[in-house]
Amino acid sequence: MEKSFEDALKELEGLVKELESGNVELDSAIDKYTEAMKLAKYCSEKLNTATDKVNKILTESKELENFEVSE
Amino acid sequence: MDMNKYLKISDLNMYIKTMFDDNPYLKKVYLRGEISNFKSHSRGHLYFTLKDDTSRISAVMFYSSAVAIKFAPEDGMNVLVEGRISCYPLQGTYQIYVDKMEPDGLGNLYLEFEKLKEKLAKEGLFDSKYKKAIPKIPKRVGIITAPTGAAIRDILSTIKRRFPITETILFPALVQGEYAKEDIVKQIKEADSGKYDLDVLIIGRGGGSIEDLWAFNEECVARAIFDARVPIISAVGHEVDFTIADFVADMRAPTPTGAAEMAVPTVNEINNMINSYEIRINEFISNLIHKNKLRLDNILDSFILKNPLSLYELKEQALDNYIDTLNNYISKKLDNYKLILNNLESSFVLNNPMSLFDLKKERLIYTEKSLDTNINNIIIKNTHSYQILLNTLKLVNPLGILDKGYSLVTKDNIIVKNASNICENDIINIRLHKGKLKAEVREVNYE
Repeated sequence: MEKSFEDALKELEGLVKELESGNVELDSAIDKYTEAMKLAKYCSEKLNTATDKVNKILTESKELENFEVSE
Repeated sequence: MDMNKYLKISDLNMYIKTMFDDNPYLKKVYLRGEISNFKSHSRGHLYFTLKDDTSRISAVMFYSSAVAIKFAPEDGMNVLVEGRISCYPLQGTYQIYVDKMEPDGLGNLYLEFEKLKEKLAKEGLFDSKYKKAIPKIPKRVGIITAPTGAAIRDILSTIKRRFPITETILFPALVQGEYAKEDIVKQIKEADSGKYDLDVLIIGRGGGSIEDLWAFNEECVARAIFDARVPIISAVGHEVDFTIADFVADMRAPTPTGAAEMAVPTVNEINNMINSYEIRINEFISNLIHKNKLRLDNILDSFILKNPLSLYELKEQALDNYIDTLNNYISKKLDNYKLILNNLESSFVLNNPMSLFDLKKERLIYTEKSLDTNINNIIIKNTHSYQILLNTLKLVNPLGILDKGYSLVTKDNIIVKNASNICENDIINIRLHKGKLKAEVREVNYE
């Protein structure tokens, strides 16, 4: 399953903090770095190519329907 | 003169009092008016006049009812009262006996607001320790407000403008009027049910009068907000409007637009964040590589690795040292033994074996000599002792005394010392210095 933007960003954040903690050995540091750069690219792409999400409304019958604000 | 037609005042007043008391319309009367001549008696009863534009009525509120009022009545205050109308016979006045009194109009709402705020604050519903953090990047935002109007429009357009990939779910609710509080509570519970996987919930409405906003000052709404697990941003009315919901929510936004801004970041912010992450890890990794390279270079630069022969040289020298030490040790040992041998070889005894013999001989001679001397000494000593003993013997010889004229009488070879041992005619022997006599005893004298 495709990673969600939020999860990917959270993971990226975790990797950056882990790397900067300085407790990582060189080999795994480079692995983590590679992974982090991938995540950063993935997040950027997701963020900047994302189409608008449709707004939903909960109906009386407890169902979600598309929602547009009536002007 | 018929005095009987004159009534006692007290009787009249009592009669009038029953007229009031029996009238069903006057048993419960609601009045709206302004307080004047307000007087609080030291025993706790309140006396005042209620008036409107044209008329006035005396009012009394006894202590038992007055303790229940939640505000400080004063002259000029508009109030709503509930009571009965009766007569005070002692003064012949009618008045309203007030059971309940509340401030009129907006003052009333304000009072309720203050009361509830105080109560909930005391319970800790506003404590910062209960405030949940609003996530930086929500996947899905819930909104409880009216499905029409400025509030929902502002919220959705702001989210779209800032962070379009956020999903929104509107939980439509009445936000003013009698049923608003129940509707809001119902939708809060629905949104918080866990079915919608919300990261944050915005509750609010656009601006309006204090009455319009009142649903957000209701206790049930406050408690529903407090009980919700999802972080809640409140956005009720305008900047200046503060509701109970604002105090109890995890975050208060000044307006619905403000709530949307708090709920989602902007794409730019997140882009910058991702960029800064990239920069940070790039810097970090190049630093790390640089650091490790330096370390490696240092090691490669070390003298030993650059001059491998020096390792060998060092060992060579050490070997020489060991050999020298070993040689020294062995030659020292040899010298030592040689010296001992030399000493032995040059010893007197080995060189003059006869000396051993001479020594024994000398000893023998000496022994012989000392033996002779000892024997002579013993002979001389013994000869001398013998002479002494002989002389002593001479001195003690019992016969020796006879030469001085004493004689020795014996009878049957027993020396006679006492005349009583002798009887007349006994034969006794007498020994003299020279010769012996045999005699017969003529007389015995016992003395």
